[in-house]
Amino acid sequence: MLAFFTSDYVIHLLILIGIYFIVAQSFNLSFGFARIFNLSHIASYAVGAYTTSLLATELNFGILPALGIGVLLSALFSLIVGGIAVRLEAEYFAMGTIAFSAMVTALLINWKSITRGVLGVPGIPRPVIFETALESNTQFLIFVGVVAALVQLIFGVLYYGSFGRSLRAQGEYENGAKSLGHDTGAARMVSFILASMVGGLGGGLYATYVSYIDPSVSSFAEMVFVLTIVIVGRPGSYWGILVGSAAMILLPEIFRFVTMPSEYLGPLRQLLYGIVLFLLVYVRRANLFPVERKL
Amino acid sequence: MSILPQLLLNALITGGIYALVTSGLSLTFALTRVLNLAHGHLMMAGAYSFYYAYVQRGWGLFPATLFCMGSSVVLGLVTLKTFVAPFARYSVVLALVSTLAFATIIESTVSLIFDVNVKSLMVGAYPESFEWCGVFITSLQLLIIGLAIVILGILAFIVHGTGFGRFIRAFSESSVTTESLGISKSKVMGIVFIVSAMLSSLAGVLVGFETSLQPTMGNAYTLKCCAIIILGGLGNLWGTLVGAFLLGLMENLLVGLEFGSFSIPTGYKDAVAFVLILFVLLVRPEGLFRKRGRAAC
Repeated sequence: MLAFFTSDYVIHLLILIGIYFIVAQSFNLSFGFARIFNLSHIASYAVGAYTTSLLATELNFGILPALGIGVLLSALFSLIVGGIAVRLEAEYFAMGTIAFSAMVTALLINWKSITRGVLGVPGIPRPVIFETALESNTQFLIFVGVVAALVQLIFGVLYYGSFGRSLRAQGEYENGAKSLGHDTGAARMVSFILASMVGGLGGGLYATYVSYIDPSVSSFAEMVFVLTIVIVGRPGSYWGILVGSAAMILLPEIFRFVTMPSEYLGPLRQLLYGIVLFLLVYVRRANLFPVERKL
Repeated sequence: MSILPQLLLNALITGGIYALVTSGLSLTFALTRVLNLAHGHLMMAGAYSFYYAYVQRGWGLFPATLFCMGSSVVLGLVTLKTFVAPFARYSVVLALVSTLAFATIIESTVSLIFDVNVKSLMVGAYPESFEWCGVFITSLQLLIIGLAIVILGILAFIVHGTGFGRFIRAFSESSVTTESLGISKSKVMGIVFIVSAMLSSLAGVLVGFETSLQPTMGNAYTLKCCAIIILGGLGNLWGTLVGAFLLGLMENLLVGLEFGSFSIPTGYKDAVAFVLILFVLLVRPEGLFRKRGRAAC
């Protein structure tokens, strides 16, 4: 039994859960708390992933500084997106952020001199901590676990502090929050930037874990996957996101035990995510996004 | 010989296709206030149903068209009854999430049934092509332009000139008031969603004949529709027409022409729409041709 839990397969899954938990928890900050439907979150993730891997492979940066710069660039990216989009109404906000996301994908595919286009970036090294490279997956799992715990701690302070209350208030009833003196625009923008930074961190971690990335990291399917995790874990929940990421990473693994042609695997996963996403919003539609409380 | 006339003609063809897809989304968006993020996927699915009947089954053009129309009716009704109506009364964001899930479901189902490779509806001989003053046009492209003009003319007449169109416009202005006058919202919505799915399927079939089909094409078209709606203003069919041809023009001119020694690589053709969305949202969030603000719901 112990052998199973320390097998490479389980450790691989645990690392993925950790990485997607970081990405999903940051999406939860903007989607679940601030109620901004930011569909360019996966673009922040891709910005982080690409910055980290290009700095590490082309310019020989260490992974940790590269991760840091990736996080900073994600913050810059979200400043641009937020500057344009944060004042828009929900539908137009969704439109604008999808457009941003699609533009990032277009750049990743077409700006071949920097991003290598669809060939992707291979050979991304693992991080080096205290002069030991985290080559084994067990070491990397501990690293991801520590980062995820830090993220969870910081987000806990944010969620349960006055910032979280302000964010929740403006998400539920913006005019009410304003009338109580909350600077709703600033709260939204800060949550937007923080979410994007942590999303970029998740992207960088993913890149150094799998050591190869291509433009599909910013694909629409990835966005739907992260959205599904947050919906499963319930938007605005603190620990639920961990449950959501574990469930959504483990669920498609049932296909591994069914024999079928490998080209069916990708679409089947997609179908599963789509159906889970739809069923959950359908069942919870009455209390997932409560209507504004009428006074 | 300058390539400008040919580019202008190409712009007219792409614009016609865009106008057909977008008019459907524009109508449903104006009516329900829900942006259907699966609209481009509906177009793709409609076109694939035609592919199934016409290419895989080898039925003739007429039965295949009937089959495609039938599946459009089903798709339109499923969109409305399952993915839009149950959510629209709670929150706009919820409906965005559900249509996103629908888009994922359609895309993966189509990739499972027909594989992910590029498909073309053009079987047998390619249509004859005419040359006129250095401009080449095929009979198919003439058909696309003709169909777009005739169908959108009829649609614009229905929306802006008939009693049923008045219902649609009334609902998009104030749905509560209109319902209180005894007009059935579900009936009007049903018809509009069916028409919307049919128009986008038609556009998808035309794309399939003119270029090719792929399960992943839906998203780009949804975004292009958004760009056109933002350009033309919500629920304004004439604005949609102008916006569609404008986007076609921009895509073809920006990517096709050389500016001095500089030219934009063709890979960025789709990105024109994305940049356009961001630009319009930045400078004029209410749309280029919108006269007044959004009506209160």
